[in-house]
Amino acid sequence: MTLIATQALTKRYGSSILALDELTFELEPGIIGLVGSNGAGKSTLLKILLGLLEPTSGSATVFDLDVATQGLAIRERVGYMPEHDCLPPDVSATDTVAHLAEISGLPRTAARERTAEVLRHVGLYEERYRAIGGYSTGMRQRVKLAQALVHDPRLLFLDEPTNGLDPAGRDEMLELIRRTGTEFGIAVVVASHLLGEIERVCDHLVAIEDGKLLRNAPLGAFTERTGTLAVEVEDGRDRLAERLTGRGLRVAADGPAILVDLVDETPFDVVRDTVVELGLSLVRMEQRRHRLEDLFRDGPESGSGATVPPAPTPAGPVR
Amino acid sequence: MTVRPPITRTGSIYDLGYRRYEGPRLGRAHAIWSLIGHSFRSTYGIGRGGRSKIAPFVFGGMAVLPAVVIVGVLTIATRFGAERAMEQMQVVSFGNYFSAVNAIIALFCAAQAPELFGRDQRHGVLPLYFARALRRTDYAIGRLVGFWIGVLALLMTPMIILFVGKVFLSTDIAGAFGDNLPNLPPVLAQAIVISALYGGLAMAISAYTPRRAYATAGIIAMFVLPGLVTGIVIGIGSSGIGTALTLVAPNTVIDGTNALFFGRELGAEYFFIDLPIGAFLVSAVVEVAIVVALIVRRFQRITT
Repeated sequence: MTLIATQALTKRYGSSILALDELTFELEPGIIGLVGSNGAGKSTLLKILLGLLEPTSGSATVFDLDVATQGLAIRERVGYMPEHDCLPPDVSATDTVAHLAEISGLPRTAARERTAEVLRHVGLYEERYRAIGGYSTGMRQRVKLAQALVHDPRLLFLDEPTNGLDPAGRDEMLELIRRTGTEFGIAVVVASHLLGEIERVCDHLVAIEDGKLLRNAPLGAFTERTGTLAVEVEDGRDRLAERLTGRGLRVAADGPAILVDLVDETPFDVVRDTVVELGLSLVRMEQRRHRLEDLFRDGPESGSGATVPPAPTPAGPVR
Repeated sequence: MTVRPPITRTGSIYDLGYRRYEGPRLGRAHAIWSLIGHSFRSTYGIGRGGRSKIAPFVFGGMAVLPAVVIVGVLTIATRFGAERAMEQMQVVSFGNYFSAVNAIIALFCAAQAPELFGRDQRHGVLPLYFARALRRTDYAIGRLVGFWIGVLALLMTPMIILFVGKVFLSTDIAGAFGDNLPNLPPVLAQAIVISALYGGLAMAISAYTPRRAYATAGIIAMFVLPGLVTGIVIGIGSSGIGTALTLVAPNTVIDGTNALFFGRELGAEYFFIDLPIGAFLVSAVVEVAIVVALIVRRFQRITT
C-alpha cells in the first residue's frame, strides 16, 4: 500500500515565495522522517497532505485518497500534532482531548475512556485535570501528541514534536514516537530540522531543501557505505596510484589520500599487495560513508559516488 | 509450607499501553453536534475556570432579575388581593421585557462572543479542528449555532419564569394558563430574532477580531453607534436616510420586529417611518444571512 504520494506538488505564497517546488515522491508505511532546515517547506507539505492548505499545482494522495477532493476521509484517519502552541490555557488536558476526540467522531463515553488511556500513554497522570496554562512545555507537547492519537489514527503527522524540550524530554518524546510507530502499527511522519533526532527513530527519510526533494530513501541508504576506499600512505602516493591504475582499478587523488572505487571486495587485497610490493608504509585504509549532514552540505547530487564528502567516519584505520 | 502463586504480569494492570479503538465512529454530524454543545457550554464558561463564569452569570443574572422581581411582587400583591391593580399597572411584561433588558443582552453578546471565535484564534486551536473530519464551514456554523442557543436560553429563561409565575400565582390556574399562552409564540419569535441578530453580529465581529478587547469594543460600538447616528440624522431632518438607518441598526430592527410580533404600533420615536412593519423582519433576516455568510467566509479563508 502506498501511504503518501505526491506528483509535482507545488505551493506558492504570493508571487515571490516558493514553498514547495514540484515535489514528487512516494512513501510506504513506516516511521518517516521529514527533514529539512527551517523554512524548507516541511510544515507546508504536512498541511497540504492534511487538506489544510491547497497546493498551487500538482497533486497528492494519502492512503490513495486525493487531498484535494477527499480531505475529510483522509482527516478521519489521520492525527496531527502542529508545531506551534495550540492548546487553550484555561481548560484541563482531559477536557481538551475529550472534546477533540468527540470532534473526531467518537461517542462521548468512548471519547472519555480513550482520553484517559491516551493521556496515561503519553505520561500525564494526575496533572491531566489541571488547566493547561500551568503546564510545562514538555507536558504541553504530550497533550498535543495525545490529541493527535486519541481517535486511533492510521497515520500521525508530527510537526517538530521535540520543540522546546530539554534533553530528557526529547528522549522521552522520541521513545514515544518510536513505540507509536513500531508497537502500535501507526504510520508516522515526523518533521524535524534536527537530523540527529530523526536518525534515532525513523526507518525512512525524506529530505527537502528550499521546497525541493533532496532524497527519499530508507535510513540505511543515507548512511550506507559508499563505493569508495580511501588509502593513505606516507610517501609515494603517486607511485601507488600509478600501480593501482595499472592493475585495472579506478583511482582518484584526494589530498594526501587516494580514493579507489569499490566495485567488489578485490580492491582491498589489491591495495594491500601493491603497498607491500612498493614497500610503502600504509597510514590508513578505510571505507567512506555518507553522513546525514552531508545531504545539506553538498546539495541534491550528493548520492552519487563522485562527490564523496571529505569527512571520513572514524572507522578503523589500518596500520 | 505455602506455595506462592506465580507472579504474572502484575505491572501490566497499570500500564495497559496503547490500545486500538474498535468502537463506532459517528462522523461529521456528531462532530458538529459536539461543537454546538461545546460552544453553548463555553458561552457560559462551563468547563472552564471560575473566572470565565463571572461575566456570563453576572449579565445573565441581570437579564433574569427583572422577571424574578416581577414574580416576587406579584406574589406579594396576590397575598393582598391586589393582582388586578398590578395587571393594570402594566409594569414590565412579555411585550416589553426584551426592550427593558436590551442593553444587558448586548453586553452579554459583547462579553461572550469573543470567548468562542476569538479564543480559538488567539490560542491557535483552529488547526486542531481543521485537521479533523470537519469542514471549515461546519466549524463556523457549529460555533455560531452554539452561541445562538446560548443567547436564546438567556432570553427565554426570564420569560419562562414570568409565565410560570403568572400562571401559578393565579387563583384560576387553568384560566391564567389560557390567558398567558398566546404570549408565548410572539415571545419565542422575538427571542429567536434577537439571538440570531445580536448573537450573529457579535460573532461576526469576534470572528474577524481575534483580540478580545477590540472585539468587545467593536460589538458595543455596533450596538450603540447606529442609534446615535440615526438620532442625529433625524434631528437634521433627513427622514430618507433616517429610515434606511433605522432598518439597519440592530436596536431599531429589534424594536420593529417586537411591534410586529406583539401586534403593536411602532413607538412615537419612529414617526418618520413610512413602511409596512414587516420590513423590519425582512431586514433582520437579510442581516442575519449576511452575518452568517461573513462568518463562513472568514473561516474558509483563514490560514492556520
